[in-house]
This record gives sequence, structure tokens and C-alpha cells, in this order.
Amino acid sequence: MTTAISISEERPAFRNLSGMDWALVLSALVLAAIGVATVHSASAEMPIDYLPRQALWVGLGILFMAVAGAINYRTLVDLALPVYLMGLGLLVLVLIAGEVGGGARSWLEFGGVGAQPGELAKLTTALFLARYLAGVNKRYLGVKELAVAGLIVAAPMVLLALQPDLGSAAMFVPMVAGMVIVAGLRWRFLAIAALVVVAAGAGVWSFGMQDYQRQRVFTFLNPESDPLGAGYQVQQSKIAVGSGELAGKGYMQGTQSQLRFLPARHTDFIFAVLAEEWGFLGSIAVLGLYAVFLINALRIGMRARERVAVLLVVGLVSLVAFHVLYNTAMVVGLVPITGIPLPFLSYGGSFTLLNFAIVGILVGVDVRRYVNA
Amino acid sequence: MQVQRQYREDLTGRVRVLTVLVAVALVIVGGGFWFVQLVQGSHYRELAENNRLRRMAVRAPRGLIYDHEGRLMVENAPSYDLLLDRSRTRDLEASLEFASRVLGRPVEELRKNLEAGQGQPASHPVPIGRSLTLPQVARFSAVALERPEFEIDVRHLRLYRHGPQVAHLIGYLGEVSEADLERAQAEAAAAEGDDAESRYRMGDLIGKKGIELTYDDLLRGERGERAVVVDSRGNLIQEYGRIDSDPGEPLRLTLDLPLQQAAERVMRDKVGAVVALDPRDGAVRAMVSSPSYDPNLFARGIRAAEWKELLEHENDPLQNRAIQNQHSPGSVFKIVMAAAGLSEGLITPSTTVHCSGGTVIYGRLFKCWKAGGHGTVSLNRAIAQSCNVYFYHLGRELGIERIAKWSRAFGLGEKSGIELDGEIPGLVPDPEWSLRTRKHQWFPGETISVSIGQGAISVTPIQIARAVAAIANGGTLVTPHLVEGATAATERVPVDDRVLELVRQGMASVMQPGGTAYYRSHIPGFDYAGKTGTVQVVGGRTGDSNDLPWKLRNHAWFVSFGPVEEPRLVVVVLNEHGGSGSSGAAPIAKELYEEFFEVGDRAPDAVPSGRPAGRVASAPARPAPPQPAEPAATASAGTD
Repeated sequence: MTTAISISEERPAFRNLSGMDWALVLSALVLAAIGVATVHSASAEMPIDYLPRQALWVGLGILFMAVAGAINYRTLVDLALPVYLMGLGLLVLVLIAGEVGGGARSWLEFGGVGAQPGELAKLTTALFLARYLAGVNKRYLGVKELAVAGLIVAAPMVLLALQPDLGSAAMFVPMVAGMVIVAGLRWRFLAIAALVVVAAGAGVWSFGMQDYQRQRVFTFLNPESDPLGAGYQVQQSKIAVGSGELAGKGYMQGTQSQLRFLPARHTDFIFAVLAEEWGFLGSIAVLGLYAVFLINALRIGMRARERVAVLLVVGLVSLVAFHVLYNTAMVVGLVPITGIPLPFLSYGGSFTLLNFAIVGILVGVDVRRYVNA
Repeated sequence: MQVQRQYREDLTGRVRVLTVLVAVALVIVGGGFWFVQLVQGSHYRELAENNRLRRMAVRAPRGLIYDHEGRLMVENAPSYDLLLDRSRTRDLEASLEFASRVLGRPVEELRKNLEAGQGQPASHPVPIGRSLTLPQVARFSAVALERPEFEIDVRHLRLYRHGPQVAHLIGYLGEVSEADLERAQAEAAAAEGDDAESRYRMGDLIGKKGIELTYDDLLRGERGERAVVVDSRGNLIQEYGRIDSDPGEPLRLTLDLPLQQAAERVMRDKVGAVVALDPRDGAVRAMVSSPSYDPNLFARGIRAAEWKELLEHENDPLQNRAIQNQHSPGSVFKIVMAAAGLSEGLITPSTTVHCSGGTVIYGRLFKCWKAGGHGTVSLNRAIAQSCNVYFYHLGRELGIERIAKWSRAFGLGEKSGIELDGEIPGLVPDPEWSLRTRKHQWFPGETISVSIGQGAISVTPIQIARAVAAIANGGTLVTPHLVEGATAATERVPVDDRVLELVRQGMASVMQPGGTAYYRSHIPGFDYAGKTGTVQVVGGRTGDSNDLPWKLRNHAWFVSFGPVEEPRLVVVVLNEHGGSGSSGAAPIAKELYEEFFEVGDRAPDAVPSGRPAGRVASAPARPAPPQPAEPAATASAGTD
């Protein structure tokens, strides 16, 4: 009996590096380098310079990328369930024994080094979900499959929301949406799913959100109403971005950043620093780099021979794409402000490692797409 | 196979759709950047260049402080500061010169203040001069156009209406220190992330001592904020939005201001402390420590010379003698001894002892203060006339362990729990303490000294007030407090009220004819009770202590409660080097009872009594040249 999982029983094998997608890896590396440089500029009026740390994270990230690429993704898929459970386990552990940082109990510390299991959970969930969805032997997903997919994703989301880290929890939504749509969704299910999301959103709005979070949405709709809080942030961001005009003010010459008007400029608003210093030309160039990255990543998904590979790629890329699109849109005032960082540019340890690991997995999937015929 | 290829084509097709979606979204975002950076670019550049958008703090008025009947004691008065915006001046030196000329302060001083604001961005105005006069304010306002780098800021400073009269209680404010700033920043970061604003900012004034310190969080409220748009000269065009500040909470103290002022007036030329509290709940009605200082000096920023003067003053005005200074209690301790003896069953009201002016115990002569002795005395007379010999014998029977136990039962040797900083616990000695601290055993002869409140035992005025309150209210150790509604934690003293009744009667007899405090301190028509105490500073001398140099004179104690039926006030007076308790301390308490209850000379229809006023021993106006510090009391009451 053949299954829809793979065309042959043999495991995909590694061929050679010449088939590797260099554009993907290079664009990621260039973005990371730009990130380190921009973080340095953003750190200028801060108590410490974040450049050495971010450089360290990038270095470690490259290591992670190599390791993730070297591991045969099929091995990961086979281990998907225990890995997924381990991810959940770590999330539970951090609720009990974790350290608080940035308002949420999201860190686990081992002898001075800390990591956020939330980021790992995104990987493990994508893996397990890909495996589950790949095993569905139907053209279109039915209610039962959608429900199971929802549950697989709901578990880590709830654990993250308890930290409370609603931002990270929400990131699972684009990931599962991308995977489910690609796996096959009838239009009417899409409509139902949309309704469910709206209903869940209403529920989250009324019961899950705190006042300041609701206020952020109101402020987005009318920035004039809260010029001191989130309204201030978006206004300052637009001033920084807009004042860059065509060619920017020059490296480390961004007045809004240097004069400390822009909050969170080494993390969520890093793109505003870049836009101020490199202008429209710089913004478009970096957006172009992201385009190269994302489109190449998706093409890996189109090339992949196995259903599980396709779904895994789609899930991970949806995650990264959503971060990129939302963060850049937020910086320029198109969407409400939330704590969504920018892959490869924003300062952050676990987040940088996650993104590089994703690149590694993508490359790993790609070079193994040839099967011994 | 066919099916699978179909599936795969479906899959690939959908991924292609996803790719298109992502590309479109990127283009939309790119469009957003085009709009903000190119279309609106010049508008934002203008906003950026002129630093037109600013966030300014709205200060919260600090809570006012009242006495228990609502009399205002501490308020906020406006004060004007000069600020310099470094990003607005082309010639910093010239600006400093100009400011120096107008203010009449040296340029170096202004420059030093400017450097203190180094860590802030250049466009943040830095205060370089405080407490400007109105003419100076006018001068800077007049040149505002030519000199946009100057700003005038109004702050409200604490005004302590009664200055030195309430200094030790209220405390004062000071600028927040580096350590405070760091700690608050760490707390905020842990709660809300690295970006969070701490509740302190550089230049904030916070309570440093006293009530201002203990209740600082309540009094300071929360600062507000407003976003403003300013023009290129820094003038306000538009207020963008405002979060109002949350004013500090007002505080109602338990203090009775007229009583406090009366106490301070009497103590002004003396060194010592007065504590007056309500024995029913521990509410403090007055607390005075003398010499005092003017906390308004701190409110406007104390100058180095003034601070130095306070620190070097011989009698340490910054110390709150009511809670931070301990002395041997002297004969005042006999009331605790009496309660101990009765409770342990060693004495009864009718037990008698014969006093002939001294007694020999352990082969040593311990003297009584009355040369010929008191004759045969029972408890009531022993208290009323403060006979030492009675208590020497009682002390020998009790032994130091039981004396220590009962002292602690009455709250001695531990902090009273009043909500002020710096309280010390005093000392109740016992053999274990002796071995641990003095590295030698406790000598039996020392017990005899302790029996009359000399020797190693030492108490603070507030502690002994608490003990007297327990005697007056029937055995409850209350927690002295200054704020209405503060915790009312109480402890029971394990003593029968009949025992306390006997002690109370003894103390009432002190104020009757024959008692040590009758002559100078009794109030016709108002019955109160007390106990005098005289603590020798230098042992072994005879003759009038008033003949000695001030620093060698005895300390005068007096503890009391009144009225005898249903006591509402406990008054404790410590007059350092004031001579005997009956001449140096009791008359002070008398004045306070008169003030509080409007009796005696303060009664509405008072006729001057014609009694000799009684000279209250006081410190000379200028204390004698500095002498090496004397211990508070010496070990024995009589050597030879």
C-alpha cells in the first residue's frame, strides 16, 4: 500500500553542496550583518553596546544553522512527537521555574546562560504539525483534521499565554494557517476557520487581553488619542523613518535614535533606525533582501518532493514571513504596535538562533530533495 | 500514483499562491515606506530637526501632613529653578557667564551642576540653579528671546510650618541618590522590561528621614506626563495629550500640635527628649528631641557649611533622642521592679523593709539617697519616696534573670515598633549577655545596681513610655505610632491587673505630699501619677549635682500618666544633665499636663497659684567647651 507521505520508501539522501540554495543563505547572512551594524548604531546612547552580544548570537546562529542543515530532516520528523512533547515540557518548566524578563516569565537559566523555550516550541510544533498534516490521506482537510491541528497548536499557545506572552502565542496563528491552507482547505472551511478566528479573537479581546493591549488597538485606529503611550511610539517611529527621506542621514547619524526619542530601538523598532539612517533607498534594499529570502524559501517548498517537507517549509516560512511583514508594517504605522521582532535584524538571543535554525532546516530539506531513484 | 501526483500539484500550486501573497504584502509595505519617507518625508524631517515633539513630566504634589485635629503642619510652596538646554546655545561659556552674573553665584558652581546632567541627551534641559528669587526669574524671562537656552521651572518645595518643633518626627527630603536610582530601575526592569521607566528620576526628592521616609511612597503620588509640540524656540504651541499626575495622599498624624509646641518650648534650652502618648492605643501625641534643627534648611537644599555645623554640633541635633539615645533609667525602673516583685510573690503591699540610709549586701555598702534613711517602708512609700534600700533587697531576692525577664515583658530591651527610622533597642543585661559581650561573668553586685535602674541596663524614652502605658492601661503593650490607623499590634504583659493597680497607687503617691514630685509638680484639681529618676553620670560624688560642670551633672527622668482614673496621656521626660528628676524633669511634665488637659495654670479660669514656680534645671546657653564624652551612668551607686 502506498501512502501519500513519500514516493519511495527510501530516506532522502544528501547529495552535494552545489545544489544548495546560496541565495537563501547569503541573504540571511547579509541581513544578519546589517542587523549587527544597526544594533550598534541603536546602542549608541544606551548604557551598553549590544553589538558584541548580537555578533555572538549571530555566530552561534551560524553554528545552529550548520547543525540543523546537517541533520537529516527525516530524522527530525520521525522524532517529531517526542520533540514536540519536550517543547511543551520546557514551556511548563519555565512557568514553574523560569525567570521573569520583560514582564513575562519566559526565561530558563542554566548557570548564567538563558534561553527562551518559547522560540524552540515554535520549531517543535511546526515539525509535529507538518508530520500530522502530511499523514492525512485526503485531498482536503476535514473538520476532524482541523480540530487536531488546532489542538496541536493550542497547547503551546496556551502555555505561552500563561507567561504571559501573548505576542509569541499569536505567532502560531500564521504558522498553522499557512500549513493548513497549503495542506488543503476547502473554501467553505476557510470561511468557517475565519469565523472561528474572529470568534476566538473576540473572546481574546474581552477576556484575554489586558487594558493596555486593548488601548494599543484603539491607539492604532486613532493615534491622536494616546500620544503618550503607544501613540507616542508610532509617532516617533514615523518621524524617524520619514525624516530619513530618500538617502537617509548616514550611519549612526540618526537624530531620533541618537537623541533617544525612539523607544525599543534595538529590538522592535530596529527597522526605524535603519530607515532613518539609510533612507528610502536603504529601506527598499533591505525589504528586497527579505523578498529574496522569503521567495527563495518558498521555492524550496515548491521543489520539495515529500508532503511533509513541503508542509514543514511552509510552516517555518510563514512564521518568518509574518514577523517580517508585521514588523516593517508596524514601524511605518500600517498596523498596531506589538512586540514582534524583526528576523535577523532585531537584537535577541533565542530569536536569532531560531531564525538561523530555520535557515538550516530549509537548506537541509532542499539538498535532500533528490531521492535515490 | 496518479492521486499522489495530483496531491503534489495541489500542494505546489498553493505554495505558489502563498509566494505571490507574500510578494504582494512586501510591495504594500514598500508602498508604506514610500509614503512616509518620500511623500511625507519633509514633514517628518521638520519635526525631527526641531525636536518639536517632547515629553514632559507633570509633577505630583506631595501629600500634606496634618496633626490629629487637622492642623496643617507640612505643605508645599513654589520654588523656581533655572534650567539650561545645551542644544540651544551656541556659546556655552557665555551662557554660563550670563547666568552667573544674574544669579550672583560662581560660574564653577553652575558648571558643576551642568555636568551632573551629563548622562542625559543634549536636548534635555539640566537644572543649574535652584531657588531663584522672583526678580531673577523676571530677568531670565525678559531675555528669553535672545537666550532660548534658559528655562524656568517651578517646583514645589516642602514647607515645614513649625520648623524645629517637629523636625525629628517629620524628617526631611533629599535628592534621590545613585543607589536609589539603580535599585528602582532594576525593580522596574524586572516587572516590565528593559525599557520600563523607574519610579524615580534624577533630581527627584524623596523622604530621607522620619515620617517623610517611612511614608514616602504614599506621600509622593505618581508623576504624570504630557506630550507637547514646541516651536523652534522651545515655546509651547500645543499640548498633545496629558496624563494627569496622581497627587500624594495626605497624612493625618496622631500628634497634638499645641502639646508638641509646648514641649518643644520647654525643652528648647535643654538637652533631652519628651515623649507623650495615649496609653489606650499608643498614639503618639508629642515627641520632642532637643537640641533640634530646622528641616526647612533641607527643603531648599542645605548648604555644605550648614550641614557641617549640624554634624559638628556638640550635642548632635540630628539625633532623635526619644528613640536613638539610651540611658540608664535610674529610679524610674523601680516601677518595673515593683511589678516583678509582686508578680513573683516576693513582696506584698504590706511587706516592709527598714532603710537607715544604706545597707550592706555582698560585703559592700549600697547607699540610699536620703542621708538618714526612710525608716520602715512598705511598697507604697518605697515608690513614693524612691527608697533605694527597699529595692536593693528586692533585687537581691529577684536575681538578675528574673529582673531581665520582667524588663523584657514590659518591652524594654527591644524596639518599640514606632514607624521611624533609626530606633535602637536599648539594653536589658543578663549573665548570657555579659559573657557574650563583655567576656566575663555577671557579678551579683551589679544586680543591686540594676535594681535601682543604674548599671548596665539602659532604655530609650519611648521604650519606658511604652512600659508605663502598659502599667496605666492594665497590662497591654501597645505599639507607639504616629499615623492614625497604623498597625495596632499589641502584646499582653503576663501580669495581673491587681499588681498593676498597686504600682499605679504607688505612682499616684509620688504626686501626694511626701512624694518626691509633690512639691514642684502637683496640679491642684488634677490627679496624675508618676515616678522620678535621677541617674548619676559620675559615681561616688556627694553634694549637689548642680555644683558640678554641666556635663557631669545627673540626668533627670520623669515618667507619668494622667488622669489617674482612666489615663489618657503618658508623659516621659528625659532632661540630660538636668539634675534630679524631681527638679529637672517632673516640672516639665507638669506643664504638659496643664497644656493638654487645660488644668492648673492653663485652666480657663486659672488664678496664678502663688507657689514658687520652681526653677527647672536647664543647660547653660552655650555649653561648656567640648569635653570627652561621659558614659551615661556608672555602675555603682556608692563606692567608698
